[in-house]
Amino acid sequence: MSYKLDWAPIWNNRDLIIEGFITTVELSALGLVLALATGVIVGTAGSTNSRILRSGSAAYVELMRNIPLLVHMYIWYVALAFLKLPPFMCAAFGLALYSGAYVAEIVRSGIGAVPQGQRLVALATGLTPAQALLLVVYPQALRMVMPSLASICSQLIKDSSLASVITVAELTYQASAIEGQTFRTFEVYITISLLYLLLVTIVTYGLLLVAGARDDLEQRVSDA
Amino acid sequence: MPEVILKNLPFLLMGLRLTAEIAFVSIIGGTVLGVLVGVVRYLRVPVLAQVADIYIIFVRGTPLLVVLFICYFGFPTLLGYQASAYYAAVLGFILFIAAYLAEDVRAGLRTVRPGLVQAALATGLARAQVIRLVVLPIALRNVIPTFFNQYVRLFKFTSVASVIGVNELTGSAMLVNGREFAPIPIIGFIALTYLVCCFVISMVGRLLYSRLAVRA
Amino acid sequence: MTEEPMIVLDKVSKSYGPTVVLRDCTMSIKRGEVVVICGPSGSGKSTLIKCINGLEPYQSGSIRVEDVDVGARTTNLPALRTRIGMVFQHFELYPHMSALDNIILAQVHALKRERDEAETRARKLLDRVGLSQRAHARPANLSGGQQQRVAIARALALDPKAMLFDEPTSALDPEMISEVLDVMVELAGEGMTMLVVTHEMGFARSVADRIVFMDRSEIVEDTPADQFFSAPKSQRAQEFLSKVLAH
Repeated sequence: MSYKLDWAPIWNNRDLIIEGFITTVELSALGLVLALATGVIVGTAGSTNSRILRSGSAAYVELMRNIPLLVHMYIWYVALAFLKLPPFMCAAFGLALYSGAYVAEIVRSGIGAVPQGQRLVALATGLTPAQALLLVVYPQALRMVMPSLASICSQLIKDSSLASVITVAELTYQASAIEGQTFRTFEVYITISLLYLLLVTIVTYGLLLVAGARDDLEQRVSDA
Repeated sequence: MPEVILKNLPFLLMGLRLTAEIAFVSIIGGTVLGVLVGVVRYLRVPVLAQVADIYIIFVRGTPLLVVLFICYFGFPTLLGYQASAYYAAVLGFILFIAAYLAEDVRAGLRTVRPGLVQAALATGLARAQVIRLVVLPIALRNVIPTFFNQYVRLFKFTSVASVIGVNELTGSAMLVNGREFAPIPIIGFIALTYLVCCFVISMVGRLLYSRLAVRA
Repeated sequence: MTEEPMIVLDKVSKSYGPTVVLRDCTMSIKRGEVVVICGPSGSGKSTLIKCINGLEPYQSGSIRVEDVDVGARTTNLPALRTRIGMVFQHFELYPHMSALDNIILAQVHALKRERDEAETRARKLLDRVGLSQRAHARPANLSGGQQQRVAIARALALDPKAMLFDEPTSALDPEMISEVLDVMVELAGEGMTMLVVTHEMGFARSVADRIVFMDRSEIVEDTPADQFFSAPKSQRAQEFLSKVLAH
């Protein structure tokens, strides 16, 4: 093996790596928020009694899920280029619609898993349907689907790496840039792998702790 | 169908063919590797199980794009060989999907009731025979839906190979767009194609499962 | 009947961490004997018979089956298990195979018989337990009683010297219990050495040579059958009998 591992150039470029890492976090955060928003709306629609809403929700989910994330990003960046959205937003929207579809499925089944009686009791005590949903059904559904949500979240963080293809300067993009300058291919990609792993682990543990699902912790992390 | 699509259809279909090829080879390779790794972890084979643990943790925490970069840029530089994008992509996909399938296999193996394993041992079969003849056939049948979820995911992920220069469906489409500047029909076309193919794969999985599933 | 006992347990003890599961269990079975083990749940009965064919390890004492030390590291357990058949409470038939294939599997892979021979024997055994019509049925399509009879045939397929039964009828609906007990009574009549963990006292009274009563991980009584039912020696056995026979 004539190639000698040399980690120094990586350390020397740590500013770029840190910048990329921060961008990844920002992009993931925005994408996640948007994905949760769309997912909750579509997922709730999918759990209603209205046939139209349910089929609409299902169609949306199938459509968004079965289109590759990269193609989603190309749609915003290339097909809808006339909108002149910055690449960061294109990536965020791509993530939002793609992951949002997965969130929708989970929300839908989570709501379905909350016993009917809960909603009826809430209504019987004088809460409006919206309040019943927000205060009684959602919290219970959330507890149940937290592990799956954590899984989607970690997937989204990793998927954000595709934003590098549409020129967003997140972690993977910076890695390629560093590689281009230093030719330390193996070292740089291993480094960012570990960084992604670190980020994903922290976020997953954090989410599960927040949800109080401590017993599931280990099992779910290995599902991530 | 829009003119721009018709004009470039042969080229796009070749891209689709490449997508299907890559997906097929990666699915087969990934499944074989995934089952092996899953069994190794289930049995806690000394040394191999620990190596498998590290492999799975590492790959599952890494984005696919980075895995592909490591296979296309990293390994060749480290080990000093020339890489072709196609083979690097296939290697990357196999390593990637196997890590996920291995976890599904291990989960599936654990759902086989210990009572059943004991009954098989009681008839004088050795441990290895029990795994091969009883546990694995049942577990594999039951993980079919999970596996096909991963297969659909992989099919979508083949689009990422375009980033390292493989002219599969997405890569071909972006090339055509570079010439024709008609992103909406072109991207619309490939979006639809992926949709249909993923749907077909899911259907195959559902059919297979309905035929083969056993209550264990 | 030979004088030398076939299966000998000597002060067998087993614990799961701090919990004692078996305490100094000593008993033996002669060839052709039918021994019933009974007692309250949690007394260790199932664990005890699973120690005999090495499915459960034990920490101290010894178990010898035809002079083979079950607990020795060098013992070939798979080979030993082909000489002892076992029937489980939940039948445990292989769900992905037909009844016939269930019975063929171990013959071919553990005893290395030719497949044709294995199939012939399997069909004979199915006939013997009254299920030749269902040879190609999957376990999911068989009733509990039918599954258990196939399980008995599966165990008999290896021509074992002794049969262990772990609560064979406890998971069955009442109407199916007799079809399984009938098979077991026939077996006993043919001279099979049997060790049966069961609550079926009627079966015990008509077929057992000896009753072993276990309570709280210990063997409390080990007496000939008629003696046990007419005059159990220990307080605990008396209490148990009165509760069980009250139905």
